[in-house]
Amino acid sequence: MKNIVIKEFKLMIKEKGNFFFLILMPLLFIVVFGSIFSQTASSTLIVNIQDLDHSAASQAFIKQIGQLKGFQVKEDSRSSVSSEIQKIKKGNLSSLVVIDKGFEKGLRNGQGMIHFYKDAAQPASTAPIQAILQNMSAQYREQKLAQSLQAGGMSPQQIGRTLAAPLRIQPVEENGSRFDFMSQIVPGYTVMFVFFIMNSMVRRFFQEKESGMIARIQGTPLNPLSYLAGMWIPSFISVLIQCTVLLACGYFFYHLHLGNPFAVSLIVICLALCGTGLGLALALIVRSENQGLGVTQLLTLGGAIVAGLWFPSDMLPSFAQKIGYFTPQYWAMSGFQDVMIRGAGLGSIWKNLIILILIGLAGLALALIRFKPFVRSAAH
Amino acid sequence: METVVDIHQLKKQFGSKAALDDVTFSIRKGSCFGLLGPNGAGKSTAMKILTGILPADGGSVRVFGLDAVRQRQAVQRQVGYVPQEITLYDKLSATDNLKFFGGLYGIKGGLLKTRMDEVLRETGLLDRANDPVKTFSGGMKRRINIACALLHQPKLLILDEPTVGIDPQSRNHIFDMIRHLRDSGVTIIYSTHYMEEVEALCDDIAIIDRGKVIAQGHLQDLFDHFAQKAVYLETDRPFHPESFASIKKSYTRDRGWVLETDQPLSVMRSILDRNEADQSLKINAIEMVKPSLEDVFLSLTGTSLRD
Repeated sequence: MKNIVIKEFKLMIKEKGNFFFLILMPLLFIVVFGSIFSQTASSTLIVNIQDLDHSAASQAFIKQIGQLKGFQVKEDSRSSVSSEIQKIKKGNLSSLVVIDKGFEKGLRNGQGMIHFYKDAAQPASTAPIQAILQNMSAQYREQKLAQSLQAGGMSPQQIGRTLAAPLRIQPVEENGSRFDFMSQIVPGYTVMFVFFIMNSMVRRFFQEKESGMIARIQGTPLNPLSYLAGMWIPSFISVLIQCTVLLACGYFFYHLHLGNPFAVSLIVICLALCGTGLGLALALIVRSENQGLGVTQLLTLGGAIVAGLWFPSDMLPSFAQKIGYFTPQYWAMSGFQDVMIRGAGLGSIWKNLIILILIGLAGLALALIRFKPFVRSAAH
Repeated sequence: METVVDIHQLKKQFGSKAALDDVTFSIRKGSCFGLLGPNGAGKSTAMKILTGILPADGGSVRVFGLDAVRQRQAVQRQVGYVPQEITLYDKLSATDNLKFFGGLYGIKGGLLKTRMDEVLRETGLLDRANDPVKTFSGGMKRRINIACALLHQPKLLILDEPTVGIDPQSRNHIFDMIRHLRDSGVTIIYSTHYMEEVEALCDDIAIIDRGKVIAQGHLQDLFDHFAQKAVYLETDRPFHPESFASIKKSYTRDRGWVLETDQPLSVMRSILDRNEADQSLKINAIEMVKPSLEDVFLSLTGTSLRD
């Protein structure tokens, strides 16, 4: 068996594609998506404003928006309202706030008017602007109420109590210091690319079969189970190396919070068992290499979506989330995130580990059942 | 006569096709046994059953007195098998391939190194030991393919079409290796569809066609039994074969005549006597036709081996 393991490692090293698919490509994904999402997290929304009133009130309104965190005001006095609206229609601009002429005067008699033009196709960037406009409108209403109450003879304290909301919302970020986009991206792409080991396992077995090597080895005293184990172990170890490299890159370059290293290591080992167990079963079940590669793509990419490897699974419709529970990727990812974000230890992730181990063992058992027919078909 | 291989009524069926149908033959210790037959005759199937790669559907195979099915691993330790395909790891060096195959037979350490040096020397590839196999010519790959089966010093070497698609130089090298192995006491089974190779290397042969052994025995015995003796005559004058009573059949070949007869020496004497008497024939060449396995195969099946 040791002999097969050494040979497989030598072949793995010679095959540059393995390094690319197992290490380089996931690193590239982590770097690219990490950059994109970290930019998104720190970026500000542009609020395009056309001030047709040019009054002290309109300027105060604009200044107030500009002071809000995460928003930046952009006034383009050279452009007309109609041309800006055309831009929205063509999809070149997401929204425009127009402060109508007579805004200041309107405020005084309770009829101040602004128009908010928006691209219906870009709710992600227009909804926050609409929300702050409504919030500001509510503030104006409160001011008006306060003035009325004051005119009615109420003291500022009485006014404050009257206008106070009966409900207070206090945001509490339980794990705010540990969560960032890298806590999604690094474990997400690590788990996703682990399952690409199935590709190389399918390819290796079919290379061995089609070259006549399996038939030739059958003519030697080697125990068939030693051969099977010898083919599996290098893939298992390469997944351990792959996960270690990717998580280490996340830790050193993106300050990923790893949490309990022992728990993370156990997830990696169980994940490697799971991915390579399934890979071994797949290699011995499928009838051709192409069929194997197709099934791998389906399991890897389909699993990545429903298991929440690309984005948090609670962003998915509930039926998709339920499908995710049947994928090993989900249990690996939730295990990683429990340890990394929520500070969980072994006691909290044992269910994840057992599910991964059971799937891996099921794959190995299936491979054992399929090994004899596979070898028989290789003899001809 | 000590036999090392006894195959008795061997059967193998692939679907509705009988790949081997009651195949029976035995192989003498220390001989080079040729298994001759056209492509698809069942040679490779027989080799694979012999080495335990394929199970038989019936019959028995004994190698060195051991049951090849029940005592498979014990048999495999004494047998070296060279498949028809070049089964090597192209990206690995010759040394790495040899290490791998040596390991399959449990050879390691100093013994493995010594044996690797020996087989590399025998195959003439010592200077290319560390080069990747993908940089080798077809003939060199064939030689390493054989070397991988020699590391454990097998007592029986099975070669399945070992010279397909190689240059004459490599072919001669392989022939020399086989002769050297036979001289050192290794029993060899040589499967091929090239008759010239069997004639050049083998002592005993079995001819197999459509899954059946149609003839077997010592090479010379087969010629004696199945090849028609003949005389080849080249003359510038008109020749009338019917005027010689002992000529059974005649036909032209190249610039002369092939005269089939059971008494070639007598026919040659008669022709020479007549020419000496009346000078009616101007003889350019007269010789006995050396029988070939092609003639044997033709005689047995009515078709050419190359058909």
